[in-house]
Amino acid sequence: MKAFLSAFWAEALKARRSKVSLLTVAAFLIFPIIDGLFMFILKDPERARGMGLISVKAQITAGVADWPTYFQVLLLGTAIGGAIVFAFTTAWVFGREFSDHTVKEILALPTPRGVIVGAKFVLTALWMLGLTLMIFVIGLGIGKAVDIPGWSPGLAWSSFWSLMLIALLTFMLMPFVALFASVGRGYLPPLGWALLTMALAQIAIVLGWGDWFPWSVPGLLGSLNGSHAEPVGMHSYVVVVLTFVAGIAATFAWWQSADQAR
Amino acid sequence: MNSSVETNGLSKSFGKVHAVDSVSLRVGQGEIYGFLGLNGAGKTTTIRALLGMIRPSAGSVSVLGQAVGPNGRGPWRRVGHLVERPAAYPELTVRENLEIARRLHGILDRSATSHVIERLGLATYADRKAGGLSTGNLQRLGLARALLHEPELLILDEPANGLDPAGVVEIRELLASLAREKGVTVFMSSHILTEVDRLATRIGIIHKGHLLVELEAEKLEELRSQRLEIKTRNPEAAQCALAQAGYAVKASGSTLLLYEAHAIEAPEEVAIILVKAGAPPTRLAVEQEMLEDYFLRLTGEKE
Repeated sequence: MKAFLSAFWAEALKARRSKVSLLTVAAFLIFPIIDGLFMFILKDPERARGMGLISVKAQITAGVADWPTYFQVLLLGTAIGGAIVFAFTTAWVFGREFSDHTVKEILALPTPRGVIVGAKFVLTALWMLGLTLMIFVIGLGIGKAVDIPGWSPGLAWSSFWSLMLIALLTFMLMPFVALFASVGRGYLPPLGWALLTMALAQIAIVLGWGDWFPWSVPGLLGSLNGSHAEPVGMHSYVVVVLTFVAGIAATFAWWQSADQAR
Repeated sequence: MNSSVETNGLSKSFGKVHAVDSVSLRVGQGEIYGFLGLNGAGKTTTIRALLGMIRPSAGSVSVLGQAVGPNGRGPWRRVGHLVERPAAYPELTVRENLEIARRLHGILDRSATSHVIERLGLATYADRKAGGLSTGNLQRLGLARALLHEPELLILDEPANGLDPAGVVEIRELLASLAREKGVTVFMSSHILTEVDRLATRIGIIHKGHLLVELEAEKLEELRSQRLEIKTRNPEAAQCALAQAGYAVKASGSTLLLYEAHAIEAPEEVAIILVKAGAPPTRLAVEQEMLEDYFLRLTGEKE
């Protein structure tokens, strides 16, 4: 446990000192701000028509200005944007050791490599949890400030848990990003992987297999209140969990045994 | 003598490239072992194998009596290392980089960081971000990390890289004193021959993945060939007279060179011959082969 706490302290210090943490906060803040902006526009149709393209897009995405719609857009934004921001975060946490050539400093230590990798995953999870909580709280604040109609504590509560579920499922897809950052020794391979899976997720949804494709599941959950989504069932959660386990196992195995010749 | 480092038939291939081929070496406790080789000779691959960073294709490695195996297994609490160019987290200060190392080494003594900062002359830079350090100071930071936990064995890849001449001397003296006073074993690779020659008690020379020779540092002096160098105002007459006297003379510009033992051991006889031939020497000196020349001759890079 002491070794883990040391490793986690090290990972947390690196994250705190990096500009990447602020960058992810800024990126994630965009979702509630844009969502709130749409609601603000939709609340006043006259003003919306006067704003041209933006109001047209706002109507396509959100439709009406009420809390259910506001939360739905926030969930969808988290599902799609979260996949990008979370992948970016994971790519940085793992890929930086290769990009900065510091990996050789953490391989032959009394703290086992597995503990260091574990600390990286825990940091990534807490980072994502923090970002998710942040957008929910700020989202509530923006919603209240815009004075969106249709508020109910029950809706907020259920939306909160939906948001946490989407964030959790998105996090569970991240070990493969970590694996690509490690095997690819840097940032580009994991980000390439993230973009590829996002594209494949859209194709799977179009083909009607989204509920079986792990990378489609968070997006489907985000749009569940819409009418066109495939049903996300137990099988969908199972494929995400299997993807998580496979990604974690592969990442740990790689760090334990792969040649570190560069 | 107990071995601090031991490899038996260590080989490592990357695809078709044999980076290290059947290297068997032994480093005794308290020795300073200089591991010499040209760029790409296999020094860093050997060092990475010693540190468990790569899996040997064949053979075995043991460090401080413990087998180094997969899964990062090894006596790393007792080993300090510096592999290739030093690296640090650029957005963290020198002190923070060392704090991370202290915690990952499980050192409870918080003063260890300050102590090693002082020891390596990094006090002025302690609160500067590592990303802004010069190559030399980054090298010092790497060495500080290697020495932080006061290891029994130091495995250092090109430790003098990037240091200015004063820094080279300082680090040399530091390593020598660690070996002398604390019995620390030092395994250091280098391509700077004079550096190894001045510090090492034993030397191994690796070339194209093969360990060519292992020898005591004093032995290196003996193995470097000697020659008698002659300068005269009349080299043609001198060369003719020496040839008639049975010497094999080689000319290098206006200098005549004699490599035979009887010429090196009795230069006065050569002088007499030259004087009698009317070509008295203006310079007559026994010179030892340059270390670089010996190395290149041994590795076959030079005739």
